[in-house]
Amino acid sequence: MEPYKLDQRQLFVLIFLFELGSAIVIPLGVGAKQDVWLAILLSLMLGILLSLVYLRLYGYYPDKPLTAYAQDIAGPWIGKMVAILYISYFLYIASRVLRDFGELLLTFAYPETPLFILNAIMILTVMYGVNKGIEVLARTGELFISLLYFVMLLGFVLLIGSGLVDFRQLQPILEDGWKRVVKVVLTETLYIPFGEMIVFTMLFPYMNNPAKVKRVVISGMVFSGLNLAITMTLNFAVLGADAVARSSFPLLDTIRRIQIAHFLERLDVLFMIALIIGGFFKVSVFFYASVVGTAQLFSVERHQRLIYPLGLIVLILSIAIASSYPEHIAEGTKIVPLYMHIPLQIIVPLCLLLICEIRHRYVNHQLGR
Amino acid sequence: MLFQWALRKKHRQKPEKRETVVPGRDQSGKAQDISQEPLHPQLEANIDMIRRTTGNSTDIVIRRVMVGQEGQHRAAVIFVDGLVDEMHVSRFLLEPLLEASFPPSFSAKETFFYIEKNLAAVGSMKQVSQWFEIFLELMSGSTIILLEDVPLALSASTKGGDYRSVEEPQSQLAIRGPRDGFTESLRTNTALIRRRIKNPNLWLETMRIGEVTQTDVAIMYIKGIVNDKIVKEVKTRLGRIKIDSVLESGYVEQLIEDQTFTTFPTIYHTERPDIVAANLLEGRVAIFIEGTPFVLVAPALFIQFFQAVEDYYARFDIATALRFLRVLVFFISLVAPAIYIAGTTFHQEMIPTLLVISIAAQREAVPFPAFVEALVMEVTFEILREAGVRLPRPIGQAVSIVGALVIGQAAVEAGFVSSAMVIVVSITAIASFATPSFAIAISARLIRFALMFLAAMFGFYGIIMGILAMAIHLCSLRTFGVPYMSPLAPFIPSNIGDTLFRVPTWAFKERPRLINQKNISRQGENLRPQPPDPARQDEGDPS
Amino acid sequence: MKGKICIVVLLLLCLTMLSGCWSKKELTDLAFVIAVGIDKTKEGQYVTTYQVVNPGNVAGAKQIGGGASGVPISIFISTGDNLFEASRKASKKMSRLLYFAHTNLVVIGEGMAREGIGGLLDVLERSNQFRTTAKVIIAHHHSAEEVLKVLTPIDKISANQIIKTLEFSERTWGQTINTDVWKMIHDIASSGKHPVASGVDLIGSVEKGQRLTNVQVSEPDARLNLDDLALFKDDKLVSWVSGEAARGVLWVLDKIKQTGVTIEWNGKKEAVGYKVIRTKTEVVPHLKHGKPSISIDIRAEGDIAEAPVPIDLADVKQVFALEKMIQHNIKKEVLEAVKKAQQEKIDVFGFGDAVYRSYPEEWKKMENKWHEHFFPQLPVTVTVDAFIRRTGLRNKPYQFGR
Repeated sequence: MEPYKLDQRQLFVLIFLFELGSAIVIPLGVGAKQDVWLAILLSLMLGILLSLVYLRLYGYYPDKPLTAYAQDIAGPWIGKMVAILYISYFLYIASRVLRDFGELLLTFAYPETPLFILNAIMILTVMYGVNKGIEVLARTGELFISLLYFVMLLGFVLLIGSGLVDFRQLQPILEDGWKRVVKVVLTETLYIPFGEMIVFTMLFPYMNNPAKVKRVVISGMVFSGLNLAITMTLNFAVLGADAVARSSFPLLDTIRRIQIAHFLERLDVLFMIALIIGGFFKVSVFFYASVVGTAQLFSVERHQRLIYPLGLIVLILSIAIASSYPEHIAEGTKIVPLYMHIPLQIIVPLCLLLICEIRHRYVNHQLGR
Repeated sequence: MLFQWALRKKHRQKPEKRETVVPGRDQSGKAQDISQEPLHPQLEANIDMIRRTTGNSTDIVIRRVMVGQEGQHRAAVIFVDGLVDEMHVSRFLLEPLLEASFPPSFSAKETFFYIEKNLAAVGSMKQVSQWFEIFLELMSGSTIILLEDVPLALSASTKGGDYRSVEEPQSQLAIRGPRDGFTESLRTNTALIRRRIKNPNLWLETMRIGEVTQTDVAIMYIKGIVNDKIVKEVKTRLGRIKIDSVLESGYVEQLIEDQTFTTFPTIYHTERPDIVAANLLEGRVAIFIEGTPFVLVAPALFIQFFQAVEDYYARFDIATALRFLRVLVFFISLVAPAIYIAGTTFHQEMIPTLLVISIAAQREAVPFPAFVEALVMEVTFEILREAGVRLPRPIGQAVSIVGALVIGQAAVEAGFVSSAMVIVVSITAIASFATPSFAIAISARLIRFALMFLAAMFGFYGIIMGILAMAIHLCSLRTFGVPYMSPLAPFIPSNIGDTLFRVPTWAFKERPRLINQKNISRQGENLRPQPPDPARQDEGDPS
Repeated sequence: MKGKICIVVLLLLCLTMLSGCWSKKELTDLAFVIAVGIDKTKEGQYVTTYQVVNPGNVAGAKQIGGGASGVPISIFISTGDNLFEASRKASKKMSRLLYFAHTNLVVIGEGMAREGIGGLLDVLERSNQFRTTAKVIIAHHHSAEEVLKVLTPIDKISANQIIKTLEFSERTWGQTINTDVWKMIHDIASSGKHPVASGVDLIGSVEKGQRLTNVQVSEPDARLNLDDLALFKDDKLVSWVSGEAARGVLWVLDKIKQTGVTIEWNGKKEAVGYKVIRTKTEVVPHLKHGKPSISIDIRAEGDIAEAPVPIDLADVKQVFALEKMIQHNIKKEVLEAVKKAQQEKIDVFGFGDAVYRSYPEEWKKMENKWHEHFFPQLPVTVTVDAFIRRTGLRNKPYQFGR
């Protein structure tokens, strides 16, 4: 364990950047069409419920990460299995996000550049950041959150200013009733990005003020959820449901629509900044979680030593997981939620909590006598 | 010779003695080879000793005099020519010594004490008995008085000689603000601060660093405001230094900074006493070094390098606007050529159509790729700048004229470079001059080249990744335990008023949090100017 | 350990450095395609015309490499079975890479438009270079190729001339529409709206128009004029509307920003000029017993620009009377446009979309029959509120006293 400590603001920043991360650029929950904001808000609520489960577990083990208390709760053998599962899950998701990021960059700006190179540059920077530790990452986040937010506000103002926002495109609300929205929530938006909060169970032990964690987590999720909902809603208001559904990166299309006074146009670089900052922090948090998880599991004293081998794994995995972008997306929407997100974000934590509760009741009961 | 002797000496030192740092006193003599033996009773032997040790240096003045009722005691007055105030020596030492009437029965020893007590009309006088002390005093500008048959010496403080007087500093000019600047004399410098902060809590500790040069180094802080941990850290780091010479504060700076492998300065240096005073009042520690007008201030935060001294003298709105301008300027000097390269070789789609056509037209005849063009121009500019800095002023001007003609005019007309490139390079250059601190401007200059490479390889992606890596690096830096980027990261809301913004002076309620942990409050409540209270006005004004 | 890691990192860096610069393209290697024209041959192949900027000859750029004496644009023509193939084939004629990121205009030949655009616009949307903010215009009576060849006097690059004309004409007169690729695709894909675009006509001879002499005379031999509006049924050009009916379309689409309306006064036709400054149109769908209807509310504000007849503009009653006339005129224009569209069964107004937004359930039943059945018989009511806010620097015209 590093001796670093995060304060509440830093945790908030990390949560915000993490949640927005890649979610802001990919076509998130477009299956819900113009009701996407409802889908996001609904999954935000469910996501908060889910994170309450994680927080409750944290309450029992305030100085241990998930991989450590899994062993305490489920016994050393099953616990170690669970820990390994989680570590590989974090590594896998890190490489998925890295792949998303590389594909995006490749498609819209660097068509001739090999994916490997773009990803390598990114993972090198991530490795550098993780090497410096979570505290440095959080501080960097504090610097970049203002940049990201400035870019978002600027984009917002420019969109409004260029008169592109047509809220009529958001009508009709709930065209097919709640069915479509609930379907999107349960297959997509609940897990990405809200269920991914599971990775923060690895970071909670670094908090210097455990009493405030709950408040910070919930406010961070609400804040980022609202921003996400606003951004996606704007995409629909500018582009229309049909175009968003066809677009690989709706936000890019939205920004490309901006044209003011023949000069404020072609602002793709704004999108790029948002993409890189978000992608960086998302990959970093997952990667960091897997590195400290591995270090904890195998009792490696200096977790920095694991960064290079694991970083290489993430890099190679990000290339190897899919042969094409459609395949990558299909995996992400069909296979991963069913076999990874649901078990690891919902079932396992719930089971752990259940065992933990029962055991504590029992122990308390005994003590009571 | 001297050097070897110093080196030899180093090996003999006992390390445990180093641990207890009592600055000023015990460190001094260790390097002296001659030191260990006491004085000889015989005057001639002593004089001979001095002659031998200094290798008959011609600036050592040895004046033999006869003192006593009948001049029965032979004595010698010894000083280094140029280090002492000669007027002082002759009026207050030699004259009394020669004209005084001693009681006739005085032995040599009694005469010695009589001189010490009654005759010498100088401020500080002390007995010394060890050779190393004698040489130290002598080399520091004191005058030594030796007497026959007395194995003791008198050291009279007669420091003087020519120093540059207090002048307006050459760097960090200000339109509004005090005009005095530090000089090479440590005493003058500390006095300049004392004059500003008339407070007994302004503490000064002196030590000598440099085995050969025995340079005076003083650390100054305000007890009660300063964070004791930082003082202790500064002292430990200074105490660790074992070096033969300290000729400028840069020597010390490089030996005590937290991280060497960074382009960013983590210690501030300045020629202006008002800056040092302000920093002391914020709880920082100043390090004065004899022989240089540049005083070090530690710990130095990143944002400090964007704060010009005038920010605090000008009104807050203007100061805030200027701060924003400076940060902008820093970014321009960092990324302008990189953005040009990225824009013209990767992201033509992001430039407005008419602009890109105009740039394309200019580049039609340029034979180099944009990156090479930018690199050549930037390097040319750096050469010009370097040439201009070192040359005497009249020639320097000639260089800049030639440079302006070469890059501005001829190169464009010959079609070697595009005029857009010239514009970019000159904006970058001006921006880098507009950064208030030279130390940060020069680090931006280095990073600029790295960013240019990244831009040439990956366009904006490279630039953004480069800046991201730079930000991670900046956030990982610490200066004497304080995070370098504070109060931006970690974000400290109560200190944000003196970063990019400069809030009105009445709102400067707190000192920087991380630098000084205890005595945070800076001013009283309700300093905000209020319109005169009508009730009170009536009272005071009888009409 | 640390040393080894450093070496690995260094090797990686070298790797990227050595083989770097994949997506790099120097400005001097690019041919900026400023406009693309699309036509179709009789054999069914696409003919694409690329208007490429010759940067050295664009005014303002007076560096070495070409005085401002040559032609500012150059035309390359290529044929292929799809646009991508055509663009790659064109490389045989070009010393530079065709670069489409600054293509701001797409000209579609009338013949091609009548046959149907089909999925042709997909490449414009899919490509990472091409921008969907590029304007779309239909070459009226001519092929796109001919339109793009003409040199224009004031804006050296003719594509810019067309784009600016489109923009300012829409803003000040409102009989042409400034539409872009995005909007076209959006409308073609939409089930409740049909696309509409402006046409550009070529007056004079193409042969003379493409020579430099065309811009060396005060009245060019060949000119590009914007004219009628092209109404599309899905992806096919069906008919043109012109004049006031065209403006009626823009009124309904809420595209009018400023325009001029002339009003009859005391039997004198087109007497008073009314300058519209601000307008707002709302299209509200209604549904009664499963039958849709549309009401259009237009609100216009403006000044009197010209009054060459004796009329007392200081008299409020007269002003009110004028307002009535203006309302009548605007209503007439709108109804004319609606009638024309209903005759042609082309819902360019997006009434279908409006119904969909308000009555999604019922729309599902109507969707398939909308254009054939519902739209042509749609009852449309128009209400216009026009206000004369100011009368300019004079109240009564000098004719008044006589």
